[in-house]
Amino acid sequence: MIGREPGVEQEHARPFTESKTRHNPVADRDTAMTSLIYAYLGFATLWLVVGTFVGEYLGIKFTAPDLEHVPWLSYGRLRPVHTNTVFWGWSSLALIGLALYVVPRTSNRRLFSLPLAWVSLVFINLAVVIGGVMLLSGINNGGQEYREYIWPVQGLFAIGAILVAYNLIRTIAKREVEEIYIANWYIVAAFLWTIAVVVIAYVPYYQTNPISESVIQGYYMHMGVGMWFTPLALGLTYYVLPKLLNKPIYSYSLGVLAFWTQMLFYTMIGAHHFVFAPTPWWIQTVAIIFSIGMLVTLAAGTGNFLLTMRGSFRTVWRSYSLPFILAGVLAYFFWSAQGSLEALRTLNLVWHFTNFTVAHSHLTMYGFVAFLIWGGIYGLLPLLTGREPRQAWVGVHFWLAVVGLTFYGGALMVGGTMQGLSWIANAPFIESVNAMVPFWLWRAVGGSLMFLSHLVFAYNVFTMRPARSTTQARAVTPAARVA
Amino acid sequence: MRLNFHSNHTLLFSTVFFGFLALSLIIAIVPAVGVEAAMAPLPGSEPMTALEHEGLKVYISEGCVACHTQQVRPLAMDEVWGRAAVPADFAHVDPLGVWSPYAPALLGSSRTGPDLTNVGARQASETWQYLHLYNPRIVVPDSVMPAYPWLFDLVDEAGPADVIVPVSGEHAPASGQVVAGAKGKALVAYLLSLRQGSLEGHDHAEGGE
Repeated sequence: MIGREPGVEQEHARPFTESKTRHNPVADRDTAMTSLIYAYLGFATLWLVVGTFVGEYLGIKFTAPDLEHVPWLSYGRLRPVHTNTVFWGWSSLALIGLALYVVPRTSNRRLFSLPLAWVSLVFINLAVVIGGVMLLSGINNGGQEYREYIWPVQGLFAIGAILVAYNLIRTIAKREVEEIYIANWYIVAAFLWTIAVVVIAYVPYYQTNPISESVIQGYYMHMGVGMWFTPLALGLTYYVLPKLLNKPIYSYSLGVLAFWTQMLFYTMIGAHHFVFAPTPWWIQTVAIIFSIGMLVTLAAGTGNFLLTMRGSFRTVWRSYSLPFILAGVLAYFFWSAQGSLEALRTLNLVWHFTNFTVAHSHLTMYGFVAFLIWGGIYGLLPLLTGREPRQAWVGVHFWLAVVGLTFYGGALMVGGTMQGLSWIANAPFIESVNAMVPFWLWRAVGGSLMFLSHLVFAYNVFTMRPARSTTQARAVTPAARVA
Repeated sequence: MRLNFHSNHTLLFSTVFFGFLALSLIIAIVPAVGVEAAMAPLPGSEPMTALEHEGLKVYISEGCVACHTQQVRPLAMDEVWGRAAVPADFAHVDPLGVWSPYAPALLGSSRTGPDLTNVGARQASETWQYLHLYNPRIVVPDSVMPAYPWLFDLVDEAGPADVIVPVSGEHAPASGQVVAGAKGKALVAYLLSLRQGSLEGHDHAEGGE
């Protein structure tokens, strides 16, 4: 899985690592488009480093609560800075950046408007900066998870997203091919769904008490993840995977089935975040039933990707981008299925309110979404800039992230289960805190490895930067290869 | 225009958008409106005072909801926190203002710290609450909760109107006295107001079950 440094002296040695295929890509001639995509991915990377630095610090606070007593850095204020920065800054900008590349490619035409896409980038960055500073100073929307930005700030993000949606739909409307490729179903749907979700979540009239607010919150927090990040990441993979394997997707129909069941089932399951709460019982039951229904969507999506890879695993091992996609696809299946199981009332009893939930959200948003993003960036960015990353560093990124996430998820799953069992046993509450202490330490260790991997990733993004001109890119690539 | 999702983008994207809106109406907006219509306070319960409402704002501003729930579930394991919550328990919680025109997310999603539904009855001592906020480890040595010293003022000599917080030992300031600040007073007033009301005379029909 790790890239061997292709030095001449190693040519006859027993290889310690798998040697990776080089593409020797030639920079895309549309340099204006390359600059745009690179700006999106560059800012996304910046927010990944910032957001996970904050997350890492939050993890340390569990083991050293008296490290400092600065109000702006206190846990309650910093936590939403972490979540919102990685949501709207990192994951969203990276996925939008890749979508801005994939939609025109699959529509066989140029992006409808490059200036408009730049405007969107400014709006979304403004939302992350202003929103983050406000959260640090204690200004939030009322503590609703993932919608802690107050409405004028989330409005900036919404304007950015609406402009991208318009840009992409206009591009597809003027496509030079008859059919709308399945990737674009997912990508455009993600925008339409998310715009609807944000508007519904920020209209105040039907959430004036904490119970009605919780009905909307369950819907919002679930759709914010599952109707935005999930379809964007899956849609991009419907392009990136066949492209990198140089073969068509296994089944177009399975992709279509997964698409419609995503919309039908997933939309109904938000209330499973409030199982046993004093919210209407029927929406909880509906949510639990459709959570199990999601296994159909999961099997269809994952099966499709894995069957596309079948027979090409040699190519996967020899690629530095495809292992990220394989890891992301597997994480999509296992950790989404875990989410469905958590909804069942008997299991919810043990895991609800515990750190198990924190493990789940990281295993999905990181193991699934971030890994697919990384696969997409390592797979596509060299085709744009003509520069490949140093393969050893891609390997370091991969393994630091995988091992870090394993520690992180493992510690919080075991610890969270012990927390829940401690409550069920009616032990004094502080015992559930004490039980977590070693697991919080392991979480901090795992989190540190994950954060380190992001520094490596940032370096790799830097090595894939666009050259000033195409001739320079071609001249630099061979040099980078030897390094 | 052919009615084909694969080649008619208007049809595809309209179905996707309006289909989702319809489902959202069923599963989110209609039940939320239903909850709003059925909401009524418990008989004999009092609205929040101005000071308690200020305290609620501090509670939200500092992100206490990240670790503390206020929802007792109808489960044996939750009996330690009080009786099962009913919607009416939350009837007096109103939106915080123009920048946050929604009710705050008091139910919470994580119990890293204890449930606070009934904390005003469980820890009724004002002094305990002040000490605990100044530094939780003064009263609960194993606590991992953040300390909130900025909710307090450090004065050379406390005046007659000041609420003195008797911090001693390793957490005491080098010199001067710790007194409750305006935000600290409001937050403690809010925490002490958290007591479950009696269900007597309450119509269960609107409840969660």
